[in-house]
Amino acid sequence: MPVAPPTPLAQERAETRTPTHLARERRLRLIAQRLALIVLLLIVWQVASLNAPAFVLPSPKRVWEAWSGLVVTANFWKDFGITFSRVFTGFAFAAVIGVLFGLLLGANEKLGEFFEPVLTIINTVSSTIWAIFALIWFGLSNWTTIFVVFMTAMPLILTNVWQGTRSVNVDFIELAQTFRMSRLQVMQKIYLPTILPPFFSAARLAFGFGARVSLVAETLGASSGIGYRLRQAADLVQTDQVFAWTLTLVALMIALEALILKPIENRLFSWKKRAGDQ
Amino acid sequence: MATVRVQNVSKWFPRRDGESLHVLQNIELDVPEKTIVAIVGESGSGKSTLLNIIAGLVKPDRGCVLLNGVKSSEFTDWRSMTYMFQDDRLLPWRTAAANVAFGLEAAHVSRAERKQRVAETLALVGLSDFADLYPHELSGGMRSRVALARSLVTRPTLLLMDEPFSKLDPTIRAQMHAEVLRIASLMAMTVIFVTHDPEEAVVLANKVVLLNPRPGRVRETRTIDLPYPRDPSAPEVNEQARALRRSL
Repeated sequence: MPVAPPTPLAQERAETRTPTHLARERRLRLIAQRLALIVLLLIVWQVASLNAPAFVLPSPKRVWEAWSGLVVTANFWKDFGITFSRVFTGFAFAAVIGVLFGLLLGANEKLGEFFEPVLTIINTVSSTIWAIFALIWFGLSNWTTIFVVFMTAMPLILTNVWQGTRSVNVDFIELAQTFRMSRLQVMQKIYLPTILPPFFSAARLAFGFGARVSLVAETLGASSGIGYRLRQAADLVQTDQVFAWTLTLVALMIALEALILKPIENRLFSWKKRAGDQ
Repeated sequence: MATVRVQNVSKWFPRRDGESLHVLQNIELDVPEKTIVAIVGESGSGKSTLLNIIAGLVKPDRGCVLLNGVKSSEFTDWRSMTYMFQDDRLLPWRTAAANVAFGLEAAHVSRAERKQRVAETLALVGLSDFADLYPHELSGGMRSRVALARSLVTRPTLLLMDEPFSKLDPTIRAQMHAEVLRIASLMAMTVIFVTHDPEEAVVLANKVVLLNPRPGRVRETRTIDLPYPRDPSAPEVNEQARALRRSL
């Protein structure tokens, strides 16, 4: 029986359905790949742990048990809260100061030229050195960790905002002038939207760095928090606990990225030309 | 209503070597209400500077500009004029509608009225169905229409254009010319535009001002008396354009 050619309408419908269909397929494939990777890593880990003593490489099962033991304790969540409140505080200071000074240096070329080396200096000093300084200045307090997070995150945000102000399109400022917009309106309607993308990518990066260096600071100069617990577990050769803390952190950072940062970014920058558009 | 009088305007720009560059010399120009004036000249004739001086964006060193009979230094009703650039200058982070609304944001117009006027103006340029698209999703011609709508949303009586549509391909350009003529007569606007293309000047303008370069001086002013709409391929339009090109 001859097959009737598809009606134009049916053809059109098939075409319009294809992209979403493809996207779903791609997402399913991605999830399958990720699951396969996790299984593979677990197998490698399990096999490796068979030939090593537990204090060197504990088995997945042992780590799981250590983790389940940790999660039910109140201290686990308390330490998590302490570490993340330090990271958030340091990050918040870094964001406010980074944005303010980034705007200032971007707006004033001479000032920017004069202060540029300061950034280079800050960037060349390792976080560990900041941690040591912080320990000297603030002792065993929250501020040690906050300071280290700040010193790591601030230059990143500042540099990006500064570069962002430089990339503001002069044509758009001229346009605003032809409409007799005030300085404040130009800031709000031209500068801010231009700076937002570089600020956001810097903030994401800075938060990740901040969270990582906070642990360094805590192992050196704190009596609470995840970093402190990690050192304690290492000192007591509780390797399974070190693993449990580490995996929790990794999971948390991935969740933060996927559930909070990525959606915000997609929403804020939906106007950007996506790769693959005509 | 809008009239423009340029009186004896001269302008110098400082140069890097400390000398000054004489850009405009004793410019006289009279633009009655509802006329369409083309300022034509080769590069270096200071035509864009003249437009910027009329727009109040650049101050003349000598002479003055009268807008509706008021010296531009004392003029306050700047929102009755708009300026269109050579390129569309659409903000990439705003939709077409939001880009048009930009024109109204400096003026204190209520949100509701803004919304209504944006819709009206988008309809005027035939883009009602594209209000929610971002600039990168629009074609070159559509982007120009959005830019035109942004200039019209404030309901100006004077429209200034600096080599408008010069980056568009010829077909779309001709469409934009027709749009501008239709809207200018509909809104009873006075239009002053700068171009280096004699044909564009003849198709659009009732009055053409020719500038000589370095320093820019008015060489001659001619009236183009042809009826609208003017077909760029019609012999009389061609002849006028050729004559204009010869005097350049």
